[in-house]
Amino acid sequence: MRADVDVGPDPVRAMKRALAAVVFWVLGRGLVASCRLDSRVRREVATWPADTIVTLEIAPDGPSTTVRLENGRLTALGAGRPVPATLLVTFKNIDGAFPVLLGMKGVLQSFAEHRASLSGDVGLGISLVRCLHIVEGYLFPDLMNRRILPGKAERRVSHVHAYVALLKPTADLPAEGARS
Amino acid sequence: MIPPYYEFANTAKVLSGDKAIENIPFELRNLRCERVLVVTNKDLRRLGYADIVLGALADGRIEVAAVFDDVPIDSSVDVVNEVARVFTEKRCDAMVAVGGGSVLDTAKGVRIVLSAGGEDLMELRGADRLIGRFLTPLVAVPTTAGTGSEVTGVAVIKDTHRHVKMGFASFDLVPDVAVLDPRMTAGLPPRLTASTGMDALTHAVEAFSCRQANPLSDGYARAAIDLVREHLPRAVADGRDTTGRLAMANAALLAGVSFSNSMVGIVHAMGHACGGVANVPHGDAMAVLLPHGMRFNLQVARDRYAELLLHLAGSEVFASTPKEKRAEASIDAVRALLSSLHESVGQPTTLSECGIVAEQLPEIAQAAAIDGAISMNPRFAGASEILDILKAAL
Repeated sequence: MRADVDVGPDPVRAMKRALAAVVFWVLGRGLVASCRLDSRVRREVATWPADTIVTLEIAPDGPSTTVRLENGRLTALGAGRPVPATLLVTFKNIDGAFPVLLGMKGVLQSFAEHRASLSGDVGLGISLVRCLHIVEGYLFPDLMNRRILPGKAERRVSHVHAYVALLKPTADLPAEGARS
Repeated sequence: MIPPYYEFANTAKVLSGDKAIENIPFELRNLRCERVLVVTNKDLRRLGYADIVLGALADGRIEVAAVFDDVPIDSSVDVVNEVARVFTEKRCDAMVAVGGGSVLDTAKGVRIVLSAGGEDLMELRGADRLIGRFLTPLVAVPTTAGTGSEVTGVAVIKDTHRHVKMGFASFDLVPDVAVLDPRMTAGLPPRLTASTGMDALTHAVEAFSCRQANPLSDGYARAAIDLVREHLPRAVADGRDTTGRLAMANAALLAGVSFSNSMVGIVHAMGHACGGVANVPHGDAMAVLLPHGMRFNLQVARDRYAELLLHLAGSEVFASTPKEKRAEASIDAVRALLSSLHESVGQPTTLSECGIVAEQLPEIAQAAAIDGAISMNPRFAGASEILDILKAAL
């Protein structure tokens, strides 16, 4: 007896993958931008080992994003995993990652539910989570942040400035505290 | 309470009670093992506790290929690698770890190294990772009743060269067999019995109110608290009370299963920081800080603490306390237990009694605010909130 299983293409899954890839791109750029904009992220990143590489990915072959720490600044390396990561966060599947990526579930809750595994220093992972909370504070409206962040989102610059920095990494940035 | 999603694992077989140690050979044969490495420390050998296990292994015709009794107070990567080398050199097929948290953490570290094929432990840090293709069978015989390490999937190992503490969290770290034998804790001094018992209580209370509390972890936490309420004062008052000793060993195990699955929160974050900054013994910090942490969490965990009153104070108190006052009454019950232990054996009730001075509090608060446990607390706490709690506990 043969048991061929061909589930065929799944348009919903393909759409989720595409959307996840976009969100990962935004998250990677958001980490880089918030490191420029927000001293809290800079303080966190200052505690990371030199040349730290952080990758967020979805198993088994989903989209990913990688950032590298170089001379106190973060650089987005984009999708793929071109180099071994110092810290690798792997969502076990796209359905577990999706609520987190869409701002419907907090990163901490996701870890508490074992939705993601972490390879590397657990302390570094916690530091990354704190950075992601700050990034989410800029990316998402307060209505969503109230649900996913452990405390009130504190923005040192406005959403607009944050998005400009995210989309144009070379843009002149306002001083921290400028919220207009 | 049912969370939208949770995971739970408790894979350890538990042997609990009189002569439980004598059944270890049978369990090892069940695991297809016949040549073991015993991991322990010099004090436990000197005091004869390791010999109880060695005797049982000899009687059961299990070959002890080597005894490693050089585990220090803090498990370190060097020791882990050394034990792994002995294990391989002596062609052992299982480990029997006899001791407290550091011995059991060392054995878990060895398990990671052996299972991963001798890779650098540093490369295997993380949470929820599969650590290897084959898990070295591990029998854990705890000699304290507090950490619950015999059933937890966590280990902390120091890298003495890089001066970092490496954290490991994986269901794969849970030992195959946990052996609770009242002989192993019979000699614990009353003061240590009290503080380790309060550690177990803290595990259970925090697990019950943390982010990933679930019906299974709740069950273990409730049972643990019942045992602590009923037996901790007895075990402290009379260390030879076998029933009390066994009950407390079970309480620690039950609380360990609970927190291994639902995690701990702000009390542990502050306790770790007190240990790191001021060398406060873990159990003492837990005992002092538990009621303060509960007070802080009250606004988000009121219903959970109200439920705990049944276990912390018993059915009579629970039934006679109005529903809206049960949460506060739970905190009072913890304080009452702590006060009774203070009166009987001098268990500290304030951070000052633990040797902490006010000038150390900001540093402790900063360290607690970035401790991993804080992230699992049900209520957000930054350094300033934690400082307020610490001041109240001083």
